[in-house]
Amino acid sequence: MTGRGRAGAGRVAAVLAAVTVLLAGCGGAATDQGAAQPDGELTVALQFPPRAAYAFDADDGARLQSLGVAETLTSVDGNVAPVPSLATAWQQSADGRSWRFTLRPGVRFHDGAPLDPAAVVTALRYVAGVSAPPRAIRGIGFAVAADGPDAVRITTSAPDPVMPLRMSSGNLGILSPAAYAGGGAPEVVRTATGPYVLDAVNGTDSAVLVRNDAYWGTRGGAGRVTVRYVTDPQTRALAVQSGDVQFAEGLPNASLPQLRSSGAEVVEYPNARTVELLLNQSAAPFSDLRVRQAVTKAIDRPVLAAQVLGGAADPAADLFGAAVPWGVTQPPPAADVEGAKTLLAQAGYGPARPLTVRLQTFPNRPELPVLATAIQAMLARAGVTVQIQVGNYDAQEPDVLAGRFDMFLNSRSYLSDYPDATSTLSSDYTCEGSYNIDHFCSPAYDALIARLPTVTDVAARQQLFAQAARMLTDQAVGVMVVHPKNTAVLSGATGFVPDPLGVRPVLPPLQRTG
Amino acid sequence: MTGLVWRRLLPLPPALLVASVLVFALPRLTGVDVTRAVLRARVSADVPDAATQARVAAEFGLDASATVQYLRWLGAALRGDLGLGFVSREPVLGQVGDALAVSGLLTALALGLAVLVGVPAGVVAADRPGGLLDRAVGVLGVAGVAVPEFVLAPWLILVFAVGAGALPALGWGGPQHVVLPVLTLAVYPAALAAQLVRAETADVLTRPHVPVARSKGLTARRVLWRHGARLATTSVTSLSGMFVAGLLGGSVVVEVVFGVPGLGRLLYDAVLAQDLPVIQAGTLALVAVALAAGVLVELAGLAADPVARSRETAS
Repeated sequence: MTGRGRAGAGRVAAVLAAVTVLLAGCGGAATDQGAAQPDGELTVALQFPPRAAYAFDADDGARLQSLGVAETLTSVDGNVAPVPSLATAWQQSADGRSWRFTLRPGVRFHDGAPLDPAAVVTALRYVAGVSAPPRAIRGIGFAVAADGPDAVRITTSAPDPVMPLRMSSGNLGILSPAAYAGGGAPEVVRTATGPYVLDAVNGTDSAVLVRNDAYWGTRGGAGRVTVRYVTDPQTRALAVQSGDVQFAEGLPNASLPQLRSSGAEVVEYPNARTVELLLNQSAAPFSDLRVRQAVTKAIDRPVLAAQVLGGAADPAADLFGAAVPWGVTQPPPAADVEGAKTLLAQAGYGPARPLTVRLQTFPNRPELPVLATAIQAMLARAGVTVQIQVGNYDAQEPDVLAGRFDMFLNSRSYLSDYPDATSTLSSDYTCEGSYNIDHFCSPAYDALIARLPTVTDVAARQQLFAQAARMLTDQAVGVMVVHPKNTAVLSGATGFVPDPLGVRPVLPPLQRTG
Repeated sequence: MTGLVWRRLLPLPPALLVASVLVFALPRLTGVDVTRAVLRARVSADVPDAATQARVAAEFGLDASATVQYLRWLGAALRGDLGLGFVSREPVLGQVGDALAVSGLLTALALGLAVLVGVPAGVVAADRPGGLLDRAVGVLGVAGVAVPEFVLAPWLILVFAVGAGALPALGWGGPQHVVLPVLTLAVYPAALAAQLVRAETADVLTRPHVPVARSKGLTARRVLWRHGARLATTSVTSLSGMFVAGLLGGSVVVEVVFGVPGLGRLLYDAVLAQDLPVIQAGTLALVAVALAAGVLVELAGLAADPVARSRETAS
């Protein structure tokens, strides 16, 4: 925006914006999805542009995986168990410190080079050797070497039960040896193995994918895909309505009804993320369990999800939600203001000794200030005065980590990098956790988490995750407020498979219709 | 005239140097740990440990003092090397150059369209004060100045892309992608130019030389365009330098909404990613273009105005 002085511009803008919404509701003809066209071309609008030129050691690594370009040794199934991808089998050694991954035969990179142990070793050694290696392999003494003509051996300094899950991380995509020949960042164009070949990259603006007809697995549903990175959510919605794109993700909740009415298929699905109201237990008043329980009772999470966020989130009853098999899907109880007042009175707070606390949050996720305001109003009904402070996250973090805060409203992914919750449960809630903002410290909880490195069975691990989350809920370790939902929309395309974990390819199943 | 040119150009290098100090220092004065911010920008959910931060700081020279970092950066920049982005790890010079070319094209087209539409509209409106056309130009002028780009852009998409299906809603590559962003950008300068030209032309038409020209037998149209509009458009010319800077800066919203890979979008992404080298180079490029545009417009004004030129030469 230019720096203009515009008297009354705000009012005019508000009126125009309102009319825009009304017009948008009328715009767009109903689309007939029609039959699938296996060789059709697709244009998609994605939410987040690549910030780091598709670097594997950054968040962009997972992007190449979701595009269907780069692949990893393993993937995961619906039960969040590891399944074969570029590796067909794996075995852990007797001492637990190494894993042997057998490579899929007959796989070729997009440049024609064969997938062999040397290629895997080159790729994984590169990403393990960067100045900030991905967390999936950071700090575990990761080493990789060829093990015969068709396998690699990965070793760690201590027994690691989840190496097959770690290997599904989008950060650990395998590129052709030629990609690393330049010495700098690997060349991602035409060097991967997936169902789509990354054919052209136009910075943060767009990318072009063409189908890999020599792919070892199920081939992609479109002959060619143009990926446009569109940061503005309203533009993504309008692009679908205008027919410019056939698939878009991350739609604004307000646009969903008009998209549905235009004939588009709207999909809402869970996200492995929780908005948490973190309570500083290292000092009064939240060192008192009764005060934490009172705050939990005073906050009406179903109302926050359904009304304040307009259905763009599910109310959270637990740290883990519907995105994972071990998450809690039943809604939390509604507010119990009288119960909250009683608990506060037992803790010594009431009209004679009112409780005033500061709630800090940040605006990068726009739902956070909105939720903070609603929480302020809900806590006021229970007699707690909340002073809201919205600021820059990076500036707040040192104080928050040092315990210089009362309440902090945060949004946290609980399955970063690979689908195992150990990292979050350890870093956020153990006594020595590096991101233990609540300053929660429980020997019983730490003992539970300490069992995880010895448990290889996926189902048994998931039971421990659920048990740990219940302990956090019982101890009122912060308030798990909502689980935000993901949205996607298709118009002129079909075949979208929601992936709450964000580790499976999104584009390959899509097909053009019409 | 050569002397005038040098007098206008000489202040540019020191002005750019001061600007470079400011764009380098400001992000570092906000109290944010640059290394930590870079790591967070690359891996959003990460909590960087001290050892990782130290390795990354050393890799990017962030472990040196701010003065040393600045002098290193300035020395490299003077050699034409703007380095790699901290977050993107891509050459900054290429990123900024490509983006500047896109924004430059949008700016030139928008400014051209604004002049082509705004100047005649203002002149014609001034010709018949209070008439239907004058009132229409007045209303549209106020609306054009008041409606911000973030409202106008979705409206244009709704009308031309969603409604008529005649133009793409987003993207960059073909001539069809240029139309809506240019229209959005042109509305404000066109409206302002129309209002300005209308007021100045109306004023010129009241001056004594106009009846004289008419008495010489010139037609009303020739008097209007040759004597009225010509004088009035000099103010639009002098404002166009400001328009260039405004359009380049104002294109952030337009480039984000329409998905155009210009300088505005580059800076927007770089600020979100806290990619300091890109922010520094992009901001400096904006400052340099704005300064250069200002000087060019001033020189053009002097070239066209002998009275002002002789006054400048005498001083």
